[in-house]
Amino acid sequence: MILANVLHRPVRTAIAILAVAIEVTMVLIVVGLTSGMRNETAKRVEGIGADILVQPPGASMFLGLGSAPMPVKTGDVIAGFDHVLAVTPVLIQPGSTGGFNLVWGIDMPSWDRVTGGFVYHGIGGPFTGPYDLIVDDWNAKANHLKVGDTVNLLNHDFRLVGIVEHGKGARMFIPLQTAQDLAASENHANVFWVKCTDPGYTDDVLKSIRALLPNNQVLSVREYYTMMTSNNIPALNAFIAALVGVAVAIGFLVILLTMYTTITERTREIGILKSLGASKGYIIRAILREAGLLCVVGIAAGCLDTLIARKILIASFPTLSVDLTADWAMRAAVLALLGTLIGAFYPALRAAQLDPVDALSYE
Amino acid sequence: MNSTQTHVVEFPVSGLRTGYPHSAAATMEPIIQTENLRKIYRVGKVDVHALRGVDLTVQTGEFIAIVGPSGCGKSTLLHILGGLTGPTTGKVLVDGNDFLNMSDADRTRFRRHKIGFVFQRFNLLPTLSARDNIALAQDIQGNGFNPHRFDAAVETLGIREKLNARPYALSGGEQQRVAIARAVVCEPKILLADEPTGNLDTENSQLVLNMLRALNRSFRQTILMITHNPEAAAVADRIVRMRDGRIILE
Repeated sequence: MILANVLHRPVRTAIAILAVAIEVTMVLIVVGLTSGMRNETAKRVEGIGADILVQPPGASMFLGLGSAPMPVKTGDVIAGFDHVLAVTPVLIQPGSTGGFNLVWGIDMPSWDRVTGGFVYHGIGGPFTGPYDLIVDDWNAKANHLKVGDTVNLLNHDFRLVGIVEHGKGARMFIPLQTAQDLAASENHANVFWVKCTDPGYTDDVLKSIRALLPNNQVLSVREYYTMMTSNNIPALNAFIAALVGVAVAIGFLVILLTMYTTITERTREIGILKSLGASKGYIIRAILREAGLLCVVGIAAGCLDTLIARKILIASFPTLSVDLTADWAMRAAVLALLGTLIGAFYPALRAAQLDPVDALSYE
Repeated sequence: MNSTQTHVVEFPVSGLRTGYPHSAAATMEPIIQTENLRKIYRVGKVDVHALRGVDLTVQTGEFIAIVGPSGCGKSTLLHILGGLTGPTTGKVLVDGNDFLNMSDADRTRFRRHKIGFVFQRFNLLPTLSARDNIALAQDIQGNGFNPHRFDAAVETLGIREKLNARPYALSGGEQQRVAIARAVVCEPKILLADEPTGNLDTENSQLVLNMLRALNRSFRQTILMITHNPEAAAVADRIVRMRDGRIILE
């Protein structure tokens, strides 16, 4: 009976399934995007190869945002500490190309000492002039860039001199001096990356730096990595919860409407069931099973949609990262199922409470 | 199959009513008793007296036709006896159960096990095949699919060839036979038929009436049938005439 009813109105069934699929896709893509971007950022920070990062007092965990720069000389002092192999200053600025693009001003010699240097794709190499630009391969792919192109950045034209393997800090790099000039922050940086002679000395070096700069944000890269969770990113959980709530509300309302119209249309059939002795529980279960079937198909369609949406997103925006996890797929399924059952319960209850004589005479 | 069977079964398969001794004659055991049965509907601010004191006794195995003009309370009486709605006042004993003091859930449970309904408009579920319509009654009863009873009902009503058809692909007579099969597949004690030939041509009407008569005679099925058709009423053992919510003649 359940399957026959579902197939009886294919368009309405398809709409209900689509609503659940959109709900599941929305949840998975929103969570996948936020966690993907977060994890990808954390991996790029880890990929620098430094052991410690030093930021100004009150700095955001979003590197380079909302903090006053520190004198580059501070980095020279840190470089003199025991067990410190190298320190590289970086001045991070928001890009002017739209979106959440950060441009890192780097001092190439010290950057190479800390990171081991860039791996270049094809032709191209390090900076040779003040308005030279290096981008990573994802950025180049996303913006269809090749070595020699001119890129307008921070209201200036930069010449692309190198395309490097992704995974080291940022996606766009310019000379530190240029970044300082453009930001009017001469001889200043807003992050120091510190590499120890051995990672085992990280805690010792941390202590020394904290003693020197008690008010600064001094973290091991490992600590920073663990801080990159949604709990530590301001309002991210609220953002995710809001979008998940909207998605669940869509599924809930569509199922509510679908089952409500179904019940109205089938009033006479419900009367027939009652004349056969169907209890209220039987009718409620039948309607919830029907909604559940729509939901299960919708969840499967939603998972499939998510995989397709992920492919399209990454093909369209190669710098995006969408992490899909079984854990969140399960959570999305449970949310969809709960929304569906709650949405279907009111129509089911109404159906169960119909007077059998009235229902049988319904035209 | 049934050692207590004392009557020649007129149907090809004798699977129904295995729990009853077969006899054409109704024994004097009242299965339905109503006394001063009244039903008042509230329509807007107006009280509508659908039944104004009905006294009726039906013996087990009787085939009764209830006739009367539209609005005389026939259907209301049938709905009350089937537990679809409760009486307002009066006594209603059906198989020993006092409907006046039973909750809606109790009446539903009673109906599930002891009442079969046949309607003028057949009332088959349009999305289900004939097979599933019949099996639905067993599903609702909750004892699982009983192939023996199912086959017996199907053979009795002669609808074996139509089991895979949806209602829209069946003639009126075939639909009504499926509906009767659905009504009797759970072996109810009472079969309530609300103008079962009202939507049928003469030939199919006669076929359906013959089947009801045969169910009554062969399996001692108690049947109450509402009808406007004097020829249909003539098939019954007894005719009860109603007017203005009362029985005027038995």
